[in-house]
Amino acid sequence: MQPKLKSKVRCTDREVGEITRVIVDPLSHEVSHIVVGGNGVGGAERQVPVSEVQSVADGLVQLRTASSALAQFPPLEREDYVTIHEVEIAHLEDHLHVESGEVLVPLPTLERNVPRRTFFMNLTHAIGTLVALPLAFPVLKYLMKPMYSPFDNAWLKVGNVNRIKTDDVGMQFKYKKKVKEAFMPEAEVDKNVWVLKASPAVLEEVYKGKDMEFRDQVGRLVWTNKKDVPYVVFSGKCPHLGCGYKWRKVPKLGKEIFLCPCHLSIYEPSGKVLDGPAPRPLDTLPIRVDAGGNVEIIDMEFKAGTKAQTRIV
Amino acid sequence: MSSQPNVLEKVIAFVDERVGLKTLQAKMLNEPVPGGSRWAYIFGSVLLFIFIMQAVTGILLMFYYVPSADHAYASTQYIIHEVDYGWFLLSYHFWGSSAMVVMVFAHMSQVFLWGAYKSPREMIWLVGLALFGIVMGFGFTGYLLPWDQRAYWATTVGVEIMDKTPIVGDFMARFLKGGATPGQMTLSRFFVIHVMILPAMLMGLAGLHIFLFRKAGPAGPFRGTPEELKAKTDYFFPRQIWKDMVAMGAVFATICSLAFIEPVVLLEEATPDPGEYHPEPEWYFLFLFQLLRLKIFSGEFGQFLGAIAIPGAFMALLAALPFIDRGPERNIFKRPVALIGWIVVMAAILIFTVSAIINREFLD
Repeated sequence: MQPKLKSKVRCTDREVGEITRVIVDPLSHEVSHIVVGGNGVGGAERQVPVSEVQSVADGLVQLRTASSALAQFPPLEREDYVTIHEVEIAHLEDHLHVESGEVLVPLPTLERNVPRRTFFMNLTHAIGTLVALPLAFPVLKYLMKPMYSPFDNAWLKVGNVNRIKTDDVGMQFKYKKKVKEAFMPEAEVDKNVWVLKASPAVLEEVYKGKDMEFRDQVGRLVWTNKKDVPYVVFSGKCPHLGCGYKWRKVPKLGKEIFLCPCHLSIYEPSGKVLDGPAPRPLDTLPIRVDAGGNVEIIDMEFKAGTKAQTRIV
Repeated sequence: MSSQPNVLEKVIAFVDERVGLKTLQAKMLNEPVPGGSRWAYIFGSVLLFIFIMQAVTGILLMFYYVPSADHAYASTQYIIHEVDYGWFLLSYHFWGSSAMVVMVFAHMSQVFLWGAYKSPREMIWLVGLALFGIVMGFGFTGYLLPWDQRAYWATTVGVEIMDKTPIVGDFMARFLKGGATPGQMTLSRFFVIHVMILPAMLMGLAGLHIFLFRKAGPAGPFRGTPEELKAKTDYFFPRQIWKDMVAMGAVFATICSLAFIEPVVLLEEATPDPGEYHPEPEWYFLFLFQLLRLKIFSGEFGQFLGAIAIPGAFMALLAALPFIDRGPERNIFKRPVALIGWIVVMAAILIFTVSAIINREFLD
């Protein structure tokens, strides 16, 4: 039993006063001292260690000391302490029972019906759900608005093949693409593709003896690259994680290759992965070359990082 | 000396009676630090300071910045070149974000090495991990806003990585980009995430973090008997606050110096043609970037392994840590697995970051 505030304090010979305060150890959370005040202690409040307490009965604390010896205990220096409301010690009050009995506040008459309280709590949740639920779908649709748009299968002019002097050498064709995004004014962005005049061997590697078909969202055929047309165009986007790759001479390999500077994927002129983390060859795009050598492409983009080719633009 | 309180004292007494400021202040400052204040405990306060400065500089940047694909770059250039001290505020915000990441690593390391994540502080650790994710999210979303080539390509690759998450990846990537490719919708989304959603989340979770910390109390040193700790205990104010303030001053001076020495310079405006630019993420993502160059992370599955599975498993391990590592021993020198684990992770991050930097030369 812990000594309680306002309890009478009795020494071996006589009653000396009452407990005016208790002092708590911040580490053990136990009462370490009682502070005794009253006539018997000569005005000053004395800090008595709990080890001096012999017994604690209801409203009375019995000390082992004689009243004449109380003066040996130090007087309370109030400024050496803070109250428990002024300090933050976790769970300090949890097992302190120093007040005499419980301190109670009456429940208002209207609140004395427990089932009703449960009902209102449930009602609160129900109304909250009723507000949130019908909003969830519209909000999701609202945020998803621009996520899926139809593919653009328009042909874009990107340059002329008379720039290409050597077979099997990657040539970057830069072009401008008009973009109209939602409410924005139409803008032009820079893009690029790589065009190759392929030797028969490289052409064979690209097409594997078959024409290449391109389809739209619903699977309708958009264009077929004939396997005997020597011009091949690769999307400028690295199929690893979507960076822009370059045409580089690598002294170590003794030849020129496509190299992506991001994660160092290396591709042969045919687009085949030579080294690095790329999961699939470079993406071939639909190409048509007119009699004057003008190159037109359909600007498709494919999901990066997958083995299968999935068109996204 | 008059015994009558003056007007100021009356006003203070009036407010205090209604708000309870003095008790609140006392409660904030009188927190016993077992074993006494230490320089090792400064990181949490420093992070709070950096965040407040990021919020202040961020709000100031928004006075001129326009989050639209046709004005983001121009308005950022305007801040740098035209607005008085714009270059400084922008550069402070930029270097402040790096400082935040450095301090997050320091803070997490301190808590880890001191074993302070153990019972009863598991919840503080979990909320801290969520805050770590938010700080990374800040870095990732803020990087796009200047809308230069660096911004565009870091986002392109970053979102492609997210796309590799099984089942939900494609949806998540499109949701973030607001379409199939980065554009205006991406900028709008990153902007609102960076300036509204993440700050709100961070403030809420940081509040919870501090509340839980106060509830459990500081863990204190991992050595020493209760008597020794009690003898050395002091309150949060003034000794710990003094150390925290010195650290904040040093961090502030460092960020300012970096802003002066290396102010932010933009590259070309963002466009889907990288030109001669070699895309690269911000330095604190470099190790992940370099990791994905490894041969073992090639192909579709390898990529999933390197980009999603391993970082995901590492985060899951960190989250599970206080529940796996239940031994009461907090002394790091008596927890060899934890110590070696920490060294290995730090060394791996360092090695991958350095090799990413060395690889730059090979590319030019």
